[in-house]
Amino acid sequence: MAGKPAKPTNALDQTRRMLSLVTYLRERPGARVEDVARAFGITEDELISDLDVLPLCGTSFRGGDLLDIDTDGDRIWWHNPDDVAEPLRIAADEATALLVAARAVSTLPGLREGDRQALLRATAKVEAASGEAAGASARLSVTFESEGGVFADVDRAISERRRLWIRYYSPSRDELTEREIDPIRLVSVGHTYVEAWCRRSEARRTFRLDRVAEIKILDEASAPPEVELRDLSEGLVQPAAEDPEVVVEVGPGGRWVAEYYPHDSAEELPDGGLRITLRAPDPASLRRLALRLGREGRIVSPVEVADSARQAAREALAAYDGPQGAGDAGDRPQDVPGTTRDGAPGAPLDGGGGAQRPDDGPHGVHDGLYGRQEQGL
Amino acid sequence: MAIAKAERLMNLALCLLGTRRPLSKRELRESIEAYLEASSDDSFNRMFERDKDDLRELGLVIETVENLDGEVGYLARRDSNRLPPITLDAEEAAALGLAAKVWQQARLAGAASGALQKLRAAGLPEDVDPYEAHGALEPRIPVHEAAFEPLMLACRDRRPVAFDYRKATAARPEPRLVEPWALECWRGHWYLAGWDRDRGAERVFRLSRITGKVRTRGGKYTAQVPDVVTVRETVASWAGDIADRSALIRLRSGSGYPLRAKAASVRELGDGWDELEIPYGHGLDAWLVEFGPDVVVLEPAELRADVVDRLRAVAKG
Repeated sequence: MAGKPAKPTNALDQTRRMLSLVTYLRERPGARVEDVARAFGITEDELISDLDVLPLCGTSFRGGDLLDIDTDGDRIWWHNPDDVAEPLRIAADEATALLVAARAVSTLPGLREGDRQALLRATAKVEAASGEAAGASARLSVTFESEGGVFADVDRAISERRRLWIRYYSPSRDELTEREIDPIRLVSVGHTYVEAWCRRSEARRTFRLDRVAEIKILDEASAPPEVELRDLSEGLVQPAAEDPEVVVEVGPGGRWVAEYYPHDSAEELPDGGLRITLRAPDPASLRRLALRLGREGRIVSPVEVADSARQAAREALAAYDGPQGAGDAGDRPQDVPGTTRDGAPGAPLDGGGGAQRPDDGPHGVHDGLYGRQEQGL
Repeated sequence: MAIAKAERLMNLALCLLGTRRPLSKRELRESIEAYLEASSDDSFNRMFERDKDDLRELGLVIETVENLDGEVGYLARRDSNRLPPITLDAEEAAALGLAAKVWQQARLAGAASGALQKLRAAGLPEDVDPYEAHGALEPRIPVHEAAFEPLMLACRDRRPVAFDYRKATAARPEPRLVEPWALECWRGHWYLAGWDRDRGAERVFRLSRITGKVRTRGGKYTAQVPDVVTVRETVASWAGDIADRSALIRLRSGSGYPLRAKAASVRELGDGWDELEIPYGHGLDAWLVEFGPDVVVLEPAELRADVVDRLRAVAKG
């Protein structure tokens, strides 16, 4: 199934699973391989490999009391069920993993109220049953971001299979466009996105919900073509090899670029900066980056991008040259390093970076850059 | 052929759970094939200690008991290892099923499925597909940072850690010694809050800026861990989400939608420009410069000067 998390196959996970498996099998003589695999969230092959190990395991130190568990490939039988197989307590890591995830999901603004209530009830019960093991779960937390109203409309459109009309903001062009989309699924990775078939570009696109300025559910039925759902575990947006190459050089204050932009390479420079090579389907969209970087970096190539940023900055400055302009701003020496806010009162702690960070997080930047989902318009 | 580790662990777990009296190491060695095959006492001892730790990591409570002859024995008592009664209905089960799938980090994904499997074994209803029950929602918790797992364990076990950290604007990383409190994921990035020993103050670190390995240090925490750790507020204020002032700008009609969405007021000037009052938080100057000639800052003077300064740097380019 698409989007299924990577499943580790290590000895600890397998042992953990087999301990639960024997309890489960004791209660269900003749259980079907297919059903058990589904209940445990594993493949039938993984289950069969567990069933190969179990008959080699014994319940008593004297030996000879091996678990007599076998399968004909369809059903599973345990011929000498033993009372050793009681349900086991939830371990601290297990409680943390499940409770942190449950709390995060329960804060999703778009979650249906009934589902949220069920999740909260379940969370409380698991907390109670975990006892002390639940304590450490307070040391991890996750917040999903999503836009409640937009989320609810998208969710409803998906379940009712209806088409949506949206007004959508594209940061790379600083413009709003209207389009009709057939929503496929909602994905939360930091921000929340809807993956959809865009009727305007006749292609699959991903839209970030906080960039949807307006939304309407249409009467028309949604009819997205059959598309294979991508595995999104590697990130929502992948640059393509055929995209034009962009080279950005930044000083120490612009190193955040390497954190926010997927790139091919980042070479250290002698001054503590980086030379970053990346790919963008539409390099012109990087004008924003060049403007934001200011003296902390520049676009080396394509040279047109640097030119257009310079041109834009000159035009912008012209507006400050009027009677009210030059005075206050003009006095500031060019080389005063006070323009970043690292030392400003209330500027937070070291984890904080400074004024250089893009306002809206990584995907904000990625979408602007690799916004093929949003482009081709 | 070497006996698979899972088989060995499973045998040890079943022996310890099955016995009513403590079993000595000798007894365990004689009854588990993998231990019989151990080439020496040393290698058996090492294997046995590691296996015990692994089983404890899985949540098994293993007691160490000394008998009258001074011999050490081990057992996992049923009543301290039994899951307390828990009954979940189909809806609750489906909701947990969805939650168990959100981790994209191997260790936590494994632990979450482990919890769900224990609940399944205890009778958790299983006839509902969580994806069906929750419509089209697929929440995912990304974990790309290598520092995550060691820091998670250090937070759990309350162990001080040392790591090299490169501040956003620094060229070189610096060594830090931290008592880790909590990890928080916000907007897809992980942050650590803790006590920075060298600075004698609370600090928040972004995991992606930790370079090299996270090493644990011995000893106890020297600073008290607060009841509530608020990583998110710290990071939000730093990201400019928390603004205590406002700014007045001119914005070209039809452009700058995100600025309009944040504006407290928008007034049409009628000459192709609008006047907006927007929140003025950390980093606003850099953001405004992105809009190039479509934005003119009116006040305050400080922001105006910052923006002009940035524009000049680009214009000189």
